[in-house]
Amino acid sequence: MNLSLTVNGAAVTVEADGADTLLMVLRDRLRLTGTKEGCTEGECGACTVLVDGVPVDSCILAAHSAAGSEVQTVEGLADRGGALSPIQQAFIDNFSVQCGFCTPGFLMTLTALIAEDPTPEEEWVKAAVSGNLCRCTGYTTIVDAVMAATGQEVAR
Amino acid sequence: MQRLRRFEYHEPATIDEATGILAAAGDDARVLAGGTDLVIDMKTGRMRPSTVVNLKGITGLAGIEEAEGGVRIGALTKVTAVEASELVARRCPALNQAAAVLASPSVRVLATIGGNIGRASPASDLGPPLIVHGATVAVESPEGPREDLVEDLYVGPVTTTLASHEIITSVFIPATPRRFGSAHLKIGSRGGGTDISMVGVSAAMTLDADGSIVDAVIALASVAPTPMRAPDAEGALIGETPSEEVFAAAATAAAGECRPISDLRASASHRVALVRVLTTRALSAALEIARNGEVS
Repeated sequence: MNLSLTVNGAAVTVEADGADTLLMVLRDRLRLTGTKEGCTEGECGACTVLVDGVPVDSCILAAHSAAGSEVQTVEGLADRGGALSPIQQAFIDNFSVQCGFCTPGFLMTLTALIAEDPTPEEEWVKAAVSGNLCRCTGYTTIVDAVMAATGQEVAR
Repeated sequence: MQRLRRFEYHEPATIDEATGILAAAGDDARVLAGGTDLVIDMKTGRMRPSTVVNLKGITGLAGIEEAEGGVRIGALTKVTAVEASELVARRCPALNQAAAVLASPSVRVLATIGGNIGRASPASDLGPPLIVHGATVAVESPEGPREDLVEDLYVGPVTTTLASHEIITSVFIPATPRRFGSAHLKIGSRGGGTDISMVGVSAAMTLDADGSIVDAVIALASVAPTPMRAPDAEGALIGETPSEEVFAAAATAAAGECRPISDLRASASHRVALVRVLTTRALSAALEIARNGEVS
């Protein structure tokens, strides 16, 4: 069965059957391996991508349920010249990456948050990433990165 | 990467088409709504349906609207939409509160209210608030439409009275009387919801003009094979004037009648203790709303 969707601005059509998750299509068919598979059951957020601008766990989304949608992955954050997005740069500047496995998921969740609220309060940031697990950073530097990327003071 | 086992896949355009496919496919056919449970169970092999019917192409199954005598919520309405609905917040506070603590934001945007009911998890977040509001579901099948109380659907863990060829199409929440309040509280191992609940408690109460409790309903999650009513606790409330002592007696009754098991999330004794605490708190929150008349 053909599946058509837009991925990082490009229209794509791939062969996908009912058993494929969106994550499988992204990683195995489109070779967009920036999106990670963690828990496989919607708990950890490593596989977070944006579907029509909204963060979803792509490991539990049937690919055909996303037919016709605009999907954005971590590969779509930097501009064509390779310049990182503000939140990506802020992750580097604030040491928000350690092992890096959760990073793509966090970046997608936070990209959506900042698009919705350009100056989110710290509590909103924490609520937004409640479905993204990070076992290295302790989250503090991740919150710092959002504050920096949105031009806000870090209250510490 | 974990893969799903092979099965026949359908995307029908109408309910009739969908129930027809399900009826022809036999007992191990499954309906796919948000997929947040089914997709996982198919990966692990806990469920191996021969046929999967994705409802996404059927229009008119999502949406929240005022209906005659209450609020109607389409079965494919996302939990995010239930959480964001001002109408739900006003009419069904417990449901609004439960939707806000169901899993994580990136799951709530996929999960549906009909799927949550049909899944019949003992730890269901939406089951208890729907029970205390006396909610019903509309069900379609080749035999025609029927309605049933949400409370009466639950048979056992992940088991309902629904046949495999029946589809929940909407949920109806009846309008509440004056001086009604409801609340839902949950404790999981991560804060703010996110995790499957160790215990969930919904409470609803109606006061008379003098402030006495004329009706009370309490429903518990994660302490029995299905979401359960707590009739002893309800009996301890009805006819009483709300007070700390009355709520404590009801909480003790609820703790006594729940039937939890010990598992990886919590021991049975810890769950009993949580039922007592959450019942007291949920009653206080429901009382506050009943007194302030916020439900209209």
